[in-house]
Amino acid sequence: MEKIHFDQLEETLYHETLPNGLDVYILPKQGFSKTFVTFTTKYGSIDRSFVPLGEEEAITVPDGIAHFLEHKMFEKEDGDVFQKFSEYGASANAFTSFTRTAYLFSATNHIEQSTNTLLDFVQQPYFTEQTVNKEKGIIGQEIQMYDDQPDWRVYFGSIENLYEQHPVKIDIAGTVESIDGITAEHLYTCYNTFYHPSNMLLFAIGNVDPEQMMETIRTNQANKTFAEPQPIERIVVDEPKEAAVSNRVLHMDVQKPKAYVSFKAREVSLQGIAMMKHELAIELALDLMYGRSSDFYEEVYQKGWIDESYSYDFSLEEGFGFAMVGSDTAHPVELQEGVKRVMNDAAKELPFTQEDLDRVKRRKIGFTLRALNSLEFIANQFTRYKFNDMNLFDIVPVIEQLTIADVERAMTSITGESQQSTFTIEPLQKEAKA
Amino acid sequence: MFNRTEVAEGVSIFTRKTEQFKTVNFSIKLKRPLNTVEAANRTVLTNVLQHSNQAFPTAAALRMHLDDLYGTVLYLDTTKTGNDQVVLLNVETVNDHYLKQGNVLKQVLTLMNKVLFEPNLTEDGYFQPSIVEREKEMVIERIQSVFDEKSRYAQKRLQEIFRPNHPISTSVNGTVEAVQAITPQSLKQTYEKMLAEDLVDIFVIGDIDEEEMVAALKEAFPFKGRKRFEKAPIPTSKATAAYTKETFDTRQGKLHIGYSTPVTFEHEDFPKMQIFNGIFGGYPHAKLFMNVREKESLAYYCSSSYSAQYGVMYVMSGIEQENEEKAIRLIDEQLEAIREGDISDLEITQTKAMLKNQLKEALDSARGQIELFNQYRDLKEPFTVENMSAKWDAVSKEDVVRMAKQLNKEAVYFLCGEEAE
Repeated sequence: MEKIHFDQLEETLYHETLPNGLDVYILPKQGFSKTFVTFTTKYGSIDRSFVPLGEEEAITVPDGIAHFLEHKMFEKEDGDVFQKFSEYGASANAFTSFTRTAYLFSATNHIEQSTNTLLDFVQQPYFTEQTVNKEKGIIGQEIQMYDDQPDWRVYFGSIENLYEQHPVKIDIAGTVESIDGITAEHLYTCYNTFYHPSNMLLFAIGNVDPEQMMETIRTNQANKTFAEPQPIERIVVDEPKEAAVSNRVLHMDVQKPKAYVSFKAREVSLQGIAMMKHELAIELALDLMYGRSSDFYEEVYQKGWIDESYSYDFSLEEGFGFAMVGSDTAHPVELQEGVKRVMNDAAKELPFTQEDLDRVKRRKIGFTLRALNSLEFIANQFTRYKFNDMNLFDIVPVIEQLTIADVERAMTSITGESQQSTFTIEPLQKEAKA
Repeated sequence: MFNRTEVAEGVSIFTRKTEQFKTVNFSIKLKRPLNTVEAANRTVLTNVLQHSNQAFPTAAALRMHLDDLYGTVLYLDTTKTGNDQVVLLNVETVNDHYLKQGNVLKQVLTLMNKVLFEPNLTEDGYFQPSIVEREKEMVIERIQSVFDEKSRYAQKRLQEIFRPNHPISTSVNGTVEAVQAITPQSLKQTYEKMLAEDLVDIFVIGDIDEEEMVAALKEAFPFKGRKRFEKAPIPTSKATAAYTKETFDTRQGKLHIGYSTPVTFEHEDFPKMQIFNGIFGGYPHAKLFMNVREKESLAYYCSSSYSAQYGVMYVMSGIEQENEEKAIRLIDEQLEAIREGDISDLEITQTKAMLKNQLKEALDSARGQIELFNQYRDLKEPFTVENMSAKWDAVSKEDVVRMAKQLNKEAVYFLCGEEAE
């Protein structure tokens, strides 16, 4: 077992790669009574075209299948896995993102039993046509719930605008129509291809003895047999650098419009420390351009173009990336033009100094240290970073080293005007109803 | 858990030293009885105080200062508890220990003092009219935005019908009309009254020296003594309609049900009602989840929640419009099953384990420690995990049946999508 110490943060991380390829990380935290364990596969909604394990031809599976599979993992021949976790007082959950599917639990007791339950339920698939069909009603309601949420629609609508080919444009849960086509056989194909231990990572954090926890996992895994690991062949699509659609409007039953501007990233191929540097540099640039202490924020606040829903953020994974800025607003067009103007001006001449950068760097360091109080944050983010060959605990030193030149270089990924798009949700035309 | 120092009548400091967190957390709570006009004024006041102050007269200046203090989080908010309303000043800052340079904590205390005691006033002593107007708009927009999130809106409508003219349906943001009526003068009165009359509790938790911290807090918050007031009893109120259906342009129907129970937070049966709630709809092993979702595939979510301070329970679910009757029937059947004693030992064991786990987990966060301690401090016995666990362990199946029989379904609200043309 490898032991990695982070001096400034006073954390010690334990790591071992098991013979079947599973990566296990354990981080004991003093003073916590809870333990939080995540078991994550590098498989998400964007993995829709691939060569199934042991075959040669690529296939494309129905949209929403990674999320559907996540739901179905919880049902076994002898009942629902939630019941088992509840017996130990453990809260279990799972989520599917563009690039990951994570299964997790938190508990203050019986950690060994729950860890075994977690490993066993994720490694013993049980799908029948009957259980698959039953789930369609439940997920159908989940999809409709999201369809009714304007904040979700404006976020996803913005991504859809940016991408022409890339599957990031497809809703993670799919559609009521697409999930209708899912069969038990599809689920087994996806499961066998993406749930091999060598494509997965287990992270345990909290009130945990590293030796004992590692031994529990080693024993559990040694009792199971897996096929020889094979590299997974995902089909990569050709995606233009420009935004696919420059503007769209959707009408919903809301009181006030919601207006977003999205920026498609050109640089989506970095991994490792270069990716971390790049990502942090763009986040700092956004803080400087659109943050609460920016000139832009002051201006739009004064003019009444934003309210408390105002937000901005940046997402980056291998193959896609985007920044977004938006708010509920009675002045959608003015706000969107303002957001674009700030970006376009920054592309011509950098509107901030090293001193400004140092200020937002301090802020970001503080945010990171605060986030490191949260077991959930550490487990989820560590996994996300690791899947991109980065280390979560490098964030603070990397921020400290960032220069204004780094920020200026990174920004060129999102500053092109052809990479911009706007999405607006407008209230319904009430008179049409009368 | 926390050590209490009463620094003046009605003003207390609660400190807790722990090395568990990398940050220091403060929570200043200013409490008085709830009413709509004051709620509106206090909410706008919190926005105005967090916008700027004498030392940092623009929002940008204040935000930049917070950035410099390693992204110290500082915000004001309003909440309600029972029949009271609370203004909060919450601050979280990094522990100097983890930084290359120190002295952040002292600057943060100075800033907290300025936020509360040196507001941004005009020469004639009122709040800046332009800031007041802008923040009134912000609060009005916050009130109106509930409409856009239909599950929140459905819950709001249920509460209005279920408990009219009652703290349950009184928003801590006030109403749009009450916010519109606010002036820089009314805000100044609210501010002065708050500082002079509200009950004050100051919480701090982190890797601190308690004695030094109490001294520093006394200096940063020079509150004078004030009269204590007793908790006002919760007023009685009745549902105006047993069933209400409203139509909007949405895909999913939202079913919300309100029940009353005589068992409130102070009642000796409170732990029993918590167990009942867990078995009914509080967890993924509960009857509502297992039957409405897993067995019948009617919903993605169907759960119950227990609001003990008011002695009420809610069930909420998102369903297909045409399944309304079936869902209501299934929910009624789950309650009826518990009343008839259809409860397995496993369900009871699971629920007790989940409640204990949840409580212990909540204590893993600094905010959780402050809030739980504050919530339970009025109970007779000292609040510990062991005390609560012992109470849950003593609950029997018969107790749960008795709790179920005391539940009274009073109001059903269905937010329905438009019929297909």
